[in-house]
Amino acid sequence: MDSERTQEYLEAIFKEQSKGSPASTSLLAKNLGVSAPAISDMLKHLELRGLVEHKPNEAIYLTDVGLSKALEIVRRHRLWERFLTDVLGMSWDTVHDEACKLEHIASAEVTDRLAHILGDADTCPHGQPIPDKDGNIKPEKAIPLTDFMASQQVCIMAVDVEDAKILGEIKKLGLRPKVVVKILNKKPDGSLELDAGKKKLRLSRTLAAVLLAEPVTSHLQCEVQQIPLSKLRAGHSGVLQSYAGEREQLGRCLSLGFTPGSVVEMLENYNGCPVLVKVHDTKIALGRELAEKMTVSGETE
Amino acid sequence: MKQNTQEKTVTVALAGSPNVGKSTVFNLLTGLSQHVGNWPGKTVEQKTGVVRRGNFTMNFVDLPGTYSLTANSAEEQIARDYLVKENPDVVVAILNAASLERNLYLVAELIELSPRLIIALNMIDVAQQQGIEIDTKALSASLNTPVIPIIASKNRGLDELLATIERECAQPVCPGKLHHIEYGTETKTIIDHVDGLLDDSITNPYPRHWTAMKLLEGDTQINKLVMGRVPSERFATLDSCLKANESAAVTIATLRYEWVRKMMGVAQTKRQLSRVSLTENLDRIATHPLWGLFTLLAILFIIFALVYSMGIPAQKFLDSQLVQRGREFVNNSLDVPFWFRSLLANGILSGMGTVLTFIPILVFFFAAWAFVEDVGYMARVAFVTDRFMHMLGLHGKSVMPLCLGFGCNVPAVLGTRIIDSPRSRLLTIIITPLVPCSGRMAVITFIAASFFGNQAIFVSLGLVIFSLIMLIVTGFFMNQFVIKGENTALLMELPLYHIPNPKIVGLVTWQNTMAFIKRAGTIILIVSLIVWALSIAPYGDINTSFLSQIGKFLEPVGRLMGLNWQMMIALLSSFIAKENTIASLGTLVSGQGVGLTQQLKLLLTPAGALAFLVLQVLFIPCIATVTAIYHETMSWRWPALTVAYQLVLSFSIAILIFQVARLF
Repeated sequence: MDSERTQEYLEAIFKEQSKGSPASTSLLAKNLGVSAPAISDMLKHLELRGLVEHKPNEAIYLTDVGLSKALEIVRRHRLWERFLTDVLGMSWDTVHDEACKLEHIASAEVTDRLAHILGDADTCPHGQPIPDKDGNIKPEKAIPLTDFMASQQVCIMAVDVEDAKILGEIKKLGLRPKVVVKILNKKPDGSLELDAGKKKLRLSRTLAAVLLAEPVTSHLQCEVQQIPLSKLRAGHSGVLQSYAGEREQLGRCLSLGFTPGSVVEMLENYNGCPVLVKVHDTKIALGRELAEKMTVSGETE
Repeated sequence: MKQNTQEKTVTVALAGSPNVGKSTVFNLLTGLSQHVGNWPGKTVEQKTGVVRRGNFTMNFVDLPGTYSLTANSAEEQIARDYLVKENPDVVVAILNAASLERNLYLVAELIELSPRLIIALNMIDVAQQQGIEIDTKALSASLNTPVIPIIASKNRGLDELLATIERECAQPVCPGKLHHIEYGTETKTIIDHVDGLLDDSITNPYPRHWTAMKLLEGDTQINKLVMGRVPSERFATLDSCLKANESAAVTIATLRYEWVRKMMGVAQTKRQLSRVSLTENLDRIATHPLWGLFTLLAILFIIFALVYSMGIPAQKFLDSQLVQRGREFVNNSLDVPFWFRSLLANGILSGMGTVLTFIPILVFFFAAWAFVEDVGYMARVAFVTDRFMHMLGLHGKSVMPLCLGFGCNVPAVLGTRIIDSPRSRLLTIIITPLVPCSGRMAVITFIAASFFGNQAIFVSLGLVIFSLIMLIVTGFFMNQFVIKGENTALLMELPLYHIPNPKIVGLVTWQNTMAFIKRAGTIILIVSLIVWALSIAPYGDINTSFLSQIGKFLEPVGRLMGLNWQMMIALLSSFIAKENTIASLGTLVSGQGVGLTQQLKLLLTPAGALAFLVLQVLFIPCIATVTAIYHETMSWRWPALTVAYQLVLSFSIAILIFQVARLF
């Protein structure tokens, strides 16, 4: 059994590596909060055990053995996070630190049973992929929000940060994995203006950089639910995706503001009645049969 | 119109979406100088009016309220055809500041036609209440066109608007002034490609580039025009190009909204208000599936209570003081030949005169509906009743004219203009005559009171409900078997509630009442005279007249319902105006020394009376309604169908009722 410290190191190196750029001594020092000499000592130790490859002043790589150990730890960590949110009902912004402790104590059997009762969840509450039993992990395609352009509509896939304070701020803004937002504006200072359905948000560069997202057009990968507008519950908002009705009605719908990407807020939705929605600051009554033909993506909960 | 040498006449078109207060602005600007007519070949109201200011005579044209300039409806086609073909000197776009985003979409479309554009930003007070501040200067700068803030409901800013129109007119037109919308390379390539397949002779009178865009937007009217003209060698290319780019409609609209967003970013700041607006609070009840219905019923009850407590006494007063006194005066004091006396008393006074006594009732109805409309409640009526109207193949918008029908069927038929699908509109027109109008209610109340004493109120109420059930059955039947077709779904803006402007309510009531009087003075007068002539020709005695011959001819049918020939004539005369039944009975059985109530008891059994009442509510619509149906459908087919259908319906049900009722 590796020591907790070894596990922390492997996990940190894996995380840097999975972001596309190999880890370095200074990055590790920063992430683990340890001094550079201490890192070097530890790396030597890990190299001796055949877990990492490291030449002084060069990048650090996990060996195959190191990688599979790292994946096991990451798997445990992320499963525990899921357990804390889904079973114990903790908030997703507070579970990271707890999971850090729990990840070290679980045996393989506990981990497998944990995965089983969580329905073999494939992402952690922050939206990051959970490696399976055999160490396979879904590659992350999402890129930071800061890399998108204004007017793009994106689906947040993951929150890539461990700091509880930053997580808390993100949560307070109502942002989390599977939320669809539209980037309205990019300011010179790197901050973003977002349209998050019910409200407009201002996001600092720091926050935007840790939110990983995918463009909404590649919708098959995005797990945001697409539902007919008629199924959107009152008080909820969705982003209009498509209209599948007759072409004659299309023109009227478009001129009233039902364009793809528009945020539709459901005001009233009683069974069998026409629905009442708000689009572009206007209240519109919409026959139910028409609402059934419009698709929106959004939270359904 | 005479023109001074230095005086110039200019046309000013008012464009805007529905619910932006466009008619309020128009009414305030032009007042009573306006002329109400129809757009050529269309049953859409055209309003024009003249304003003189400085050296200018400004002819204002109120374009129909439209959300866009793509021909999705008759209104939109009229508005854009007017702009393209008549080329008005100035276009004033009236926008609702409280929903600027949606309203700017129309501006985006107007810009493409490069007119001399002035923006009138209405309801800035309402916008402010919602925490919306609009920087008119910034908006004006980014659009490069004047933007005038106004509050039409408080008569503010209109003078400034007129001054701006005057100033703009004095300047030469510069076509490139407005900043056009950038559609992006991809979309622009497609538009240019279509543009290249067209030439000016094909698209005349529409601008070529604009036509190309409308084709891509799927505008059916433009499509029909161009496809009919395009040379055959280019037809296939154009057709396949349009088919391949069907999604361009969505892209263009989306890009326009992008442009709108940009303008919004420049001009609008919005504070999030913690308090819920009045509209939201009211709508929590008014649009609720259950409470909304109660609200509607309560409002209807109040209107009817007002009409019956004030309108009907006023009608009775007019009838006794003017019509009856007039008849007495003519019969006793005028020294004129017998036929002329009869013409005045029985033809004009009893016929048209009686119809005119209904003016107080109609004024109440018109005013009540104008009020409800101006408050913004009408759209909610459509919303809460939509699910019921669906069963009849209609949607909620049809309820508004039907409600109007309780006053008089004629304005109800005219009121169907608000329904955008031609099929729903036709269906509504056909069932409208089954709404018991105030004329019928007068007859029913009178006859029921004569026969059923204390129970009269229940009989009357039962007849109204029965009539409405027949309306539903008819609607269902017509929808299923006669006027087939797909129903278009409800798609309607719910405007913000606001305090009604008494001036507007007054003006609308005035216009509707005048239209009714005009009709009474023409068609109703003529038919009254024809019936009168038939009733005295050839020997001057009603019992030997042509009318009685017709009545006697019909008597065998009448007997099946327990009715004699006088009752049949009374019924027939209701074709001219429903309330004529009473007048005719008065003429036919008069002069025997007892009151009409006593006379009726001699003429009818209670079973016959019941049959007659049913017959009366379901009988063919009056001539005014029939002509209105003809005008609105522009065909004799539909009035003929309505008459035939209701004739069969009323007779068969009346026969059935009489035959059953006599068994008891």
